[in-house]
Amino acid sequence: MGLLGKLTALPLRVGEKIGLLEPDVPALPPGARPPKHTFRWDLDKTYLRTEFDSLADLAKSAIETAADKQAYPGATALLRALCQDGHRICIVSGSPTQMRQVLAAKLALDGVEYDEFVLKNNLKNILKGRFRSLRAQIPYKLPAMLRSRIAAAAQSETLFGDDAEADAIIYCLYADLIAGKVTLGDLERVLIASRAYDDDAERCLALARDVPKGEAVRRLFIHLDRRSPPMGFRRFGPRLVPVYNYFQAALVLYQDHVLTARQVIFVALEMLDSGQYELGHLATSVQDVIRRGRITRETALQLAAEANEAAKSGALSGRRDLPPFDQIAEAFRERVRELGGPVTADAEDIEPLDYVRLVDEEHEHRHRRRRSGMG
Amino acid sequence: MHRIVVDAMGGDHAPDEVVRGAAEASLALTNAEIILVGDAQVLGRLLPRMRHDGARVRVHHAPTFVEMDEKPAEALAAKPEASIAVAADLVARGEGDALVSAGNTGASVLACARRWPLLQGVRRAALAAVYPTELRRGEKDDPFSLILDVGATIDATAEDLVGFAVMGSAYAKLVSQNRRPRVALLSNGTEAGKGPAEVIEAHARLVETTELNFIGNIEGLDIPRGVADVVVTSGFVGNVVLKMLEGVSETVVRLARYAHKERLAWRLGLVALSSAIDQLKEVTDWQQYGGAPLLGFTHPFIKAHGRSNARAIHNAVKVAHKALAGNLTGNIARTMAELDERSQRRGA
Repeated sequence: MGLLGKLTALPLRVGEKIGLLEPDVPALPPGARPPKHTFRWDLDKTYLRTEFDSLADLAKSAIETAADKQAYPGATALLRALCQDGHRICIVSGSPTQMRQVLAAKLALDGVEYDEFVLKNNLKNILKGRFRSLRAQIPYKLPAMLRSRIAAAAQSETLFGDDAEADAIIYCLYADLIAGKVTLGDLERVLIASRAYDDDAERCLALARDVPKGEAVRRLFIHLDRRSPPMGFRRFGPRLVPVYNYFQAALVLYQDHVLTARQVIFVALEMLDSGQYELGHLATSVQDVIRRGRITRETALQLAAEANEAAKSGALSGRRDLPPFDQIAEAFRERVRELGGPVTADAEDIEPLDYVRLVDEEHEHRHRRRRSGMG
Repeated sequence: MHRIVVDAMGGDHAPDEVVRGAAEASLALTNAEIILVGDAQVLGRLLPRMRHDGARVRVHHAPTFVEMDEKPAEALAAKPEASIAVAADLVARGEGDALVSAGNTGASVLACARRWPLLQGVRRAALAAVYPTELRRGEKDDPFSLILDVGATIDATAEDLVGFAVMGSAYAKLVSQNRRPRVALLSNGTEAGKGPAEVIEAHARLVETTELNFIGNIEGLDIPRGVADVVVTSGFVGNVVLKMLEGVSETVVRLARYAHKERLAWRLGLVALSSAIDQLKEVTDWQQYGGAPLLGFTHPFIKAHGRSNARAIHNAVKVAHKALAGNLTGNIARTMAELDERSQRRGA
């Protein structure tokens, strides 16, 4: 690079360093095959245990080092498993761009590789006086996801979010939008309801027009960080699965033929190693997803059988802290038997989603929480 | 991890309030697992509507349950798979560590008695009840005193009464965080020689114990005063006393309502006192206490009030957890063994 090139690149590097400028979403090289499956992850409260409930929590989160940051048990093993097989990992987080270095370092420490990593440019929002954008989620996340899909459209997508913000609404909106179930007129009304600035709304509408369409979103996982009642997510339909932990997400992905039994075992082992879960908790987690109709008994029993084979072929080698796998599998089978006969989850009629109403409700809910000092 | 089995179908407000209370407890007690016993279909519909930890609450199916007004022995014979029977079975098989139920008291006690062995040295189990008193006690400033037995054993020998004293004292130490609970025998006079033969003999034995803070005999009127932290009596007398105390409380409330209707001046007086009455209600709220224990078995059983709401169930689960964490049954067994050793030495 010549001197002139270096001089013109300098403001770009400085801008990226202070988080004012963000690197572009990398498009696929010409002629490259599109990814088979894209996994989109939120970070805070989904991958990372983050507390935002008070100013002290916010300050703590801002000054934490990469080593201080804690991933939820099982999340790292799951993300690593999903990185394999040429799948695309895209991270879209509401954390400010100034956190890029520490968050990237945390992901590197965890051995998580990713293809995209988008953060929220709140410094730019402040400098431009766009204070509504500081809290707004839909006008930030939705265009980021659409841009990502335009750059590399996969046949299948799986999304991971949490119950703290508007993730369920944004993810469903995205899924319906790319499936062609939400018209541009509907999207415009949603953007108005979500207090998007006019130019942001126009950009989002343009992206929605250009995005490759298809029924791509197979699953949406909502991590119940706040332990919200799962029934509250029923209206989003069966593709959205609220999970208490990542073993449950792994079970559903096993049923969807995305993960193998061996990969599910690795997620389980990471959870056991965290010291926050015992085998009994994992067995109870299986029972919970069966009770909620998210996996079948047959899937659970098939997993036990396949995991047994995987364990015999060395998936548990060196784990002298665990009982023999036969005993573990029997404990899991017993939890399924405890349910007695077949348990059917509530079959309620799912109405089409009214996104404008959902956005209004979410705003009201957020204001209520803020007024009551809960965040 | 402590595994607390909850009879989800027992109680006037079961299963909704019981499940809600257990769900709340799963969030508060991170090192506990809650096992809800009842109709899996019903419980499976309720749980997802409530905030809880799905890795710490599990369901164990039981197809039937004992109604609150059923005769215990007949109901258990007719319904061997009733929720309380299945729950007691789970604990007996070592798949649970403690039991909580707000259901039919007789059936609950019978289900435990038929399945759980008594602790070494304990001849008979005792059902305890808590009663709000004038004086407070322990590090928790607990307004409740413990009365036992209130119905598990109709006739009690002197030896049984000594056992009840040991069990009540161990429970008060743990739950009220009362380091040296005052233990008294209920009699018809404070003198050592007053009362039936078994009470006189129990008095003589208890006076010699160093393990307990035995303060002698008390009379009925001393119960609401809170003179003793643990009141020991036979199941027959305890049950009569408890029902009478409850009856008196209800009558006082009815009289206050009558006064409220009768004269404007009385009504104004009651309004002026309302905040004090609310405060009194708060400190004497049995829902805050959660439940009363069935003592003497190898596992703790907390009997919650039949009218328990979610808060009461949550607190009952917390009491069960405390009993497990504080090794209540181990402490009772140890004290009983010490007493037994002393009496053997004396005999030799």
